[in-house]
Amino acid sequence: MVTVEQLGKGFTSAGEPVPVISGLSFQVSRGASLAVMGRSGSGKSTLLNLLCGLESPDRGEISLGEHRFATQNPAGAERDAQWAQLRCSTIGVVFQEANLMPALTLADNVRLRAHLAGQAPGAEQQWLERLGVGDLGQRFADQVSGGQRQRAALAMVFAMKPALILADEPTGSLDRHTADAVADCLFAVQQETGCTLLLATHDGLLAGRCDQLLDLSRPHDHG
Amino acid sequence: MLAKAVFSHYRRHPVQLLALVVMITLATMLWTGVSVLTDQARVSLAESEAAVAGRQQVVRSDGQAVTVNDFALLRTQGQCVAPWLEVQRPGAEGRVIGIDPLALGCFGGAVPGGTAGEQLGAPFMDISEAVSLAREQGYDSRLSLLMPDNVTLLPVGYRAQDFSMGPATGELADSFLLNLDALSVLVLLITGLLVRSVYRLGLAQRRGSFALLQRFGVPWGRLQWLLVLELVLISSLAIMPGLWLGSQLAGLLGGGFAQALDGLFDVTLYAGSQTAVPWSALWIMLALVMLVCLSDWLLPRHWQRGMRAKRLWRWLLPALALGVGLLLVALAPALWWVFAGTTLVLLGVGTLTPVLLAALADGLGNRSLHPLGRWRLRELAVMLRQLALPVVALQLAVATVLAVQALVTTFEATFDDWLDQRLAAPFYLMVPEDADGHRGAQLLAELDGVGPWQRVIGGRVSLLQDSGQRLPVDLFAVAPIGPLLDQWQLLDSLPQPWQRLEEGGLMVNEQLARRQGLRPGDSLTVRLDEQQIEGQIAGVYADYGRPAGEVMVSADRLPEDFSGTSESLSITPGEHSIQAIQRDLEALWGVDNLSVNDNASIRQLANRVFDQTFMLTRAISVLTLALAAVSLLIMGWVFFTTRAWTFQLLRVWGLPLQGVRSQLRRLAVTLTLAVAVAALPLGIWLTWVLVSRINPLAFGWSLPMAVYPLFWLELGVLCAGIGLVIGLLMHRQLKPGAPPPVSASGITGEER
Ligand SMILES: Nc1ncnc2c1ncn2[C@@H]1O[C@H](COP(=O)(O)OP(=O)(O)OP(=O)(O)O)[C@@H](O)[C@H]1O
Ligand SMILES: [Mg+2]
Repeated sequence: MVTVEQLGKGFTSAGEPVPVISGLSFQVSRGASLAVMGRSGSGKSTLLNLLCGLESPDRGEISLGEHRFATQNPAGAERDAQWAQLRCSTIGVVFQEANLMPALTLADNVRLRAHLAGQAPGAEQQWLERLGVGDLGQRFADQVSGGQRQRAALAMVFAMKPALILADEPTGSLDRHTADAVADCLFAVQQETGCTLLLATHDGLLAGRCDQLLDLSRPHDHG
Repeated sequence: MLAKAVFSHYRRHPVQLLALVVMITLATMLWTGVSVLTDQARVSLAESEAAVAGRQQVVRSDGQAVTVNDFALLRTQGQCVAPWLEVQRPGAEGRVIGIDPLALGCFGGAVPGGTAGEQLGAPFMDISEAVSLAREQGYDSRLSLLMPDNVTLLPVGYRAQDFSMGPATGELADSFLLNLDALSVLVLLITGLLVRSVYRLGLAQRRGSFALLQRFGVPWGRLQWLLVLELVLISSLAIMPGLWLGSQLAGLLGGGFAQALDGLFDVTLYAGSQTAVPWSALWIMLALVMLVCLSDWLLPRHWQRGMRAKRLWRWLLPALALGVGLLLVALAPALWWVFAGTTLVLLGVGTLTPVLLAALADGLGNRSLHPLGRWRLRELAVMLRQLALPVVALQLAVATVLAVQALVTTFEATFDDWLDQRLAAPFYLMVPEDADGHRGAQLLAELDGVGPWQRVIGGRVSLLQDSGQRLPVDLFAVAPIGPLLDQWQLLDSLPQPWQRLEEGGLMVNEQLARRQGLRPGDSLTVRLDEQQIEGQIAGVYADYGRPAGEVMVSADRLPEDFSGTSESLSITPGEHSIQAIQRDLEALWGVDNLSVNDNASIRQLANRVFDQTFMLTRAISVLTLALAAVSLLIMGWVFFTTRAWTFQLLRVWGLPLQGVRSQLRRLAVTLTLAVAVAALPLGIWLTWVLVSRINPLAFGWSLPMAVYPLFWLELGVLCAGIGLVIGLLMHRQLKPGAPPPVSASGITGEER
């Protein structure tokens, strides 16, 4: 499903080039899960952003299913359009926070996300229930707890029926107990729908539940 | 130390400080500009009227034009007279006036033409130069003999007459100035709102640090004092350049105004070039800034909390203010009621509009089946609530522009109508005192091929009231009742009013009708010297010139020996030349050099003054609109920095960057269009207040109320344009490389 070859990415900070990722190659097969670990600043978020096209790599190649993205191929607007199309219906992204539109209720958020992915409306309540927040559909993001927000965010992602989920510390701001409960949901539904999961986390326990592990703090030689 | 902690906010947020300073400066500039202009325009027009009305000239009783011989004769008899030679140069050069500074010596302080006459600046020159200019170039010239107004005794064969060079636009100008005053109050209100919005924004961000300081044991009272001190400092610094800029603005706009006045009255009346900085504006602005920024403290704290908590108050209080205000304006017996009522209405509307529009957007959002549409409407509601103050400021500004446009256009049209009415026919000539106007009229009646003409006799008569008392009114007698009267605007009439007038009916002007409660169909008795005329009122006509009541009758009903105060003939030459008609009349009356007035040039001069004044008013209202738009942009920008992440989220969800940007543009345009729509009823109401409430209360007559839908459309397009510009500028916060929303800085209820 996901193949990354010789990926390189750096930033310039105060005129100095700062390499973040270099020569990274790995592969995740369909339906599998990969935990991306590493200390803070090691490039976990950067990697996930590269994998959904929110950042562009300096070197290397990314393949998602039949889509292949090399450094300059496809280029420009065509590339942006392809990535947008992928994010729209194939790749679901969950961040640590701020996954919901504050002006919409939880149910409306799920409906909007599903709508953008081209899914028929009507399933939002079902997804909210599936993630254990079925009775909070009419509340706004600021009216529920952090854990409930993340459950709703997962409901949104699942409602779009993605082939790949990129989760950037989805439980990062939750307490142990809540984090486990949210993770339970995540893995359960992931198994059920058979989608591929890439999960960036500091949390060894959470990482342990994944099929594969990628540690960005160490030299990149994983497969 | 504490002060440092409090003030350090603006060191960390210099842009906010800048925005506050700029807002106060611009607000001061606008308001100073408007008030300086209004004051000066008022002084100028008062002076010009005095100059026109107060001047007297000596004329010959036999109607002949005065000559240098008359001047010599009068001087040898010890009369104080001075020559005034108008030389008409062709085209843009305009007329020059030759005067004799020596002869003016006996006028004492009351020199005609003001001090300009003594200095011989344009358009004045020494009379000998003017004479040679007229002779060598063959320009038309006309000699008048001026005299001080306190002289009563003149030698036989001469009499005094008002010396006027243009139409006295008196009340129309006054009315316009009063409306300009109302406009400046409105401008003050709008700018107050803008200053408040910027200040409250900063205060909201500082709430956290204030809470911290309070926790460290600093009493709230001390913090308040520091904030007051800070605000006084900032506003004094910001107001000073505003005052200067305002007087510059007034000078700039006033320049054209001054030129127009000079052209009309031949005297430098408008003091626009030497604008003094109006220090009173300093205190007014300071008080305004304090009031709008800190007014919340005036309410007891538990009230504030209660009002914030109870939704009912948010609706009820402004709705109450609105209702009371509307009632006050509708029933107002005096001018200040109207002003107080209008203020209440504006406050009510200003508070209700964002709440109502947001509720509407939310309601529409709930109904929208399209998820993206629902999101947009909800986001619009959030923007309306968060940007309430600049939104209301824009609404008021748009309403002001609407009202001013309608007012100015109405004034222009009305003024035109009024000139049409009073300056019917292309020419008019005054009938000399000893001449027989009736015979002149007969001559015209027997002249084949002459166009429409009429004889007009003015006089003073009195109305016999039911109580037996006599009410002095002006008389306007005209005959024949013909096509020249078609221009007259009848506000109310019986069927076939002109025929009724011809057959013995009467007409009254609006002022008289309002004051005496007269209606068409009522009977009226007009008392002349000996006789009286009775008749039914056939119509009420609009008369914007003067405050005086006036009765119009057919001149044929006047007795032969009726002596009016003035008599004139309005003439359309038709197949004849006006010179030929003039010669015929001169022969008939045995005079030479009758003076014929060309109505077109009088009208042209008068229009120039009003054009300038109107342009100025438009400029001010458009500036206000621009200021409101800029403030919405600033506030929108600041607001959007906390909101851009939701748009980034759309991008994460697969909307292409172009799509996200177009959502942003649509949102901004919808916002400003909603504001424009909300401003429409307010603007129409304001127009109505200006023409139908303020004018009748101040002057006794109303202006016709007109609406201009095409202009609404223009304004709507303009507002959409403002929205588009705001949206396009916000694009900058949605750069392609911008980071995805990794964290929202604390989601709170304020975000929706
Ligand atoms: N837009 C950017 N410009 C410059 N430097 C950046 C940018 N984005 C990330 N970086 C740098 O790249 C490095 C990797 O950042 P990244 O956010 O991927 O780390 P991370 O592993 O997700 O850390 P954390 O665990 O704290 O989330 C950091 O040193 C960061 O400072
Ligand atoms: Mg990270």
